[in-house]
Amino acid sequence: MGTEMPFLVLALPTLAFIILALVPQLRRSGKPAAYLVIISSAASLWAAVKLLVNQLSLGDEVQSEFLIRWLPNGGDSLTDVGWLIDGTSAPMLVVVGLVALCVQVYSLGYLDEESPEGLGRYFTWHALFVFSMQSLVLAPNLLQLFMGWELVGLCSYLLIGFWWQKPEAARASVKAFWVTKAADGGLLLGLIILMGATGGTGWNPEGISSGTLNAITLLLFVGVMGKSAQMPLHIWLPDAMQGPTPVSALLHAATMVAAGVFLIVRGWPLFEVSSLTLSVMLWVGCITAFCAAVFALLQDDVKKMLAFSTCSQLGYMIAALGAGGMAAGYFHLTTHAFFKALLFLGAGSLIHAVGTNSMSKMGGLAKKMPFTFVLFTMGSLALAGIFPFAGFYSKDLVLETLEHGHHTIPLVLAMGGVVVTATYVGKSLTLIFFGSNNSPDAHPHEGPITMLVPMALLGSLTLGAGFLLLKPFQSLLGNDDAVFHFTTLGYIGLGLAVLGLAVGNWVAKGGSVKALKPMGDFILSSPLDRLYVTIWRRVLLAGGKGMAWVDRYLVDGAMNALGWLFVILGNKAKTIQTSRVDNYATTVVAGAAAICLSSIVLWTLFVGAV
Amino acid sequence: MIPFYLTAAAMLVSAIMVVRSTDLVRAVLWLSVVLGATAVAFIQLKADLLAVIQVMLYTGGVITLMLFAVLLTWRRDEGKPAAGRHRQGIGALLALGTAGLFVAAISRTELPEHTPLVESDSAAVGALFLQQHVVAFEALSVLLLAAMIGAIVLARRSDA
Amino acid sequence: MAGLEMWLYLSALLFAIGLYGVITRRSAVALLLSIELMVNAVNINFAAFGWSRGDYTGQMIALFAVALTVAEVAVGLAILIQLSRTHKSTELNVATELK
Repeated sequence: MGTEMPFLVLALPTLAFIILALVPQLRRSGKPAAYLVIISSAASLWAAVKLLVNQLSLGDEVQSEFLIRWLPNGGDSLTDVGWLIDGTSAPMLVVVGLVALCVQVYSLGYLDEESPEGLGRYFTWHALFVFSMQSLVLAPNLLQLFMGWELVGLCSYLLIGFWWQKPEAARASVKAFWVTKAADGGLLLGLIILMGATGGTGWNPEGISSGTLNAITLLLFVGVMGKSAQMPLHIWLPDAMQGPTPVSALLHAATMVAAGVFLIVRGWPLFEVSSLTLSVMLWVGCITAFCAAVFALLQDDVKKMLAFSTCSQLGYMIAALGAGGMAAGYFHLTTHAFFKALLFLGAGSLIHAVGTNSMSKMGGLAKKMPFTFVLFTMGSLALAGIFPFAGFYSKDLVLETLEHGHHTIPLVLAMGGVVVTATYVGKSLTLIFFGSNNSPDAHPHEGPITMLVPMALLGSLTLGAGFLLLKPFQSLLGNDDAVFHFTTLGYIGLGLAVLGLAVGNWVAKGGSVKALKPMGDFILSSPLDRLYVTIWRRVLLAGGKGMAWVDRYLVDGAMNALGWLFVILGNKAKTIQTSRVDNYATTVVAGAAAICLSSIVLWTLFVGAV
Repeated sequence: MIPFYLTAAAMLVSAIMVVRSTDLVRAVLWLSVVLGATAVAFIQLKADLLAVIQVMLYTGGVITLMLFAVLLTWRRDEGKPAAGRHRQGIGALLALGTAGLFVAAISRTELPEHTPLVESDSAAVGALFLQQHVVAFEALSVLLLAAMIGAIVLARRSDA
Repeated sequence: MAGLEMWLYLSALLFAIGLYGVITRRSAVALLLSIELMVNAVNINFAAFGWSRGDYTGQMIALFAVALTVAEVAVGLAILIQLSRTHKSTELNVATELK
């Protein structure tokens, strides 16, 4: 088992990417390129599943570790590259591989109207993404994780801007890249400090002072905030919906945005002992969970609603981690990957059928698209946290973790978030599937089989992952606490969810409170975005102009002045050569006198009196 | 002391007149006074041979040469002493500076014990020339020959 | 009888006067005259030192200097005559080819 399986997990998508990158004819042919990538993803998934099965028998021990020394440091190694397969990375490999495969198969049906060149380009980026994400997941140290991190950011840029002819898409891709890149500054700083403190980039917190540890993890968390769209760095995620819906499903719901959470899980030895960072995570997570849910409630566009919903759910994961519940956060990541991807694929099916993103233009689709109706509802109920779907189990674990740590206000915020989540779920379900059809021109129909099968697969996982996978999951993480059982909190949570659904139904039927509309409009006008743009223009660009001025006039100016000084001195020195003999005679005499005088002066200074 | 002061005064006054005189002929004649005073100084310094040769060569030869040169190249507008205040200032500065330098040097030096000459012995000087330093003497005569030929060549008219 | 220092001061002053003349005068002949003054000062210096040491070496050196100076003046005047022919003037500021 040793080295072949992990190598295959990484190598097959890479191979597909390289082939497609180097052979333009294949890439531009469209469907063959797609099949190549799908086959490589499937094979990579098969290898990942084998690894997971093997890992289950090992618990949380390291199954396979492979390191190549990359940057030497004296006799030791500064950093290695390779892989580390253990209880933390094995499940994520399968999650990523599975969702990626589903999304890729779905894309064949969703993008059937795309040109062959476009399709080939799309699948090339997909291959790159699978490689990048998997190399992030099985990274043995922070530096390789960071490399994968940056690569998935690149893929995000490329895929959001897939239809770059649309100006909104081009802007959105740049915005996503910029915001995450700015946050990555923090991550890089944390990495550097870690390197300085330990001489390597592993996750061993021994020997680092607690202040430094807090600094490192806090900076790493800044990077996480960007990648996982926590407030206030969430602004890129709603705009990222400009990309094709399968991309939103894969990157911006299931995997890439989850990379931030995964970083914390991976680096848990460091985070576990950084109490300051954990508190920050707790609060940021809860606030994001609640506020993003409110934003989702205000949205009419189904994809934007799902985007804010993703922010909110990521907030739950981060809050759970902040409260110390690594297993809870990681499990919620897993279930969320399944049901959110399902929701996005379902949304794609709806958009494909009706031709619009706007929920208020949909309606009455339950009968016309029964398959989508069932699956989308399953995903929605999981999102709301209704038993027995997977989301119920994972969300309850999160709430339990918060309660266990006696974090009262965060718990209240989280439970409020549960209500609001269920509200927007109920609202969306009502608007989309019930009532009368608001778009009489469209002819809604189910998509092709390539779209339906992945949805079904994800749907079954959404249903079963909760009670089937929790136990194995915990054993993989070596985490035996939080044995699941029904507690009061569970009942309360369930009750809140049902309440929320009912409220949502009422809201959708037009019962929204008029007083809240101004606030809704204010939020929808995205004041945070405008703040960021102002900061960008006033502070960063002005600062840049200032520095350019300094560079041009002071730095260059000093060098130019030095040059000019010598030119002027040379001109002045030129005047000695007057070509007149009497001047030359004078100069000779003056020179002789100068030599005499200076020799006398020097003699007096260094030897003594004349 | 009195002979010294008289000689010194004559020498210095004439020297100043040499450098300040606008008329070249006058300047040359003042120079002849300086050279004569120098000869007197040599006698006081018990260097009779030197004094005689000084008179013969300098006041006889050099002054004559100078007068010839002046009169051969005489132009009406020549002999003006200096090219403006600027040059005079620098000259004065350098001259005074040099003088001051030398005076300071002389006054601070411990001059060795001297037992000055009491009489002037020309034969001894001649013996020095022809015994210890005969090579230099011969070389000097060769040099004089070369200078003579050189001067004739240089002063020739180019068309001759 | 004046001591050595007095003679040395005299020669120094004479030298300085000659120096002034070298710098200041515009005419080539005047330049040569000033150089003569300087050489004379040096000769007096040599003779004075010789006198104070009690031997005739100083006088001998001064004799050599006299002879050399005469030769130098002769050659210098010859050059001056050529200069006056080519530049039609013996002022020093007409010879400007030495750029």
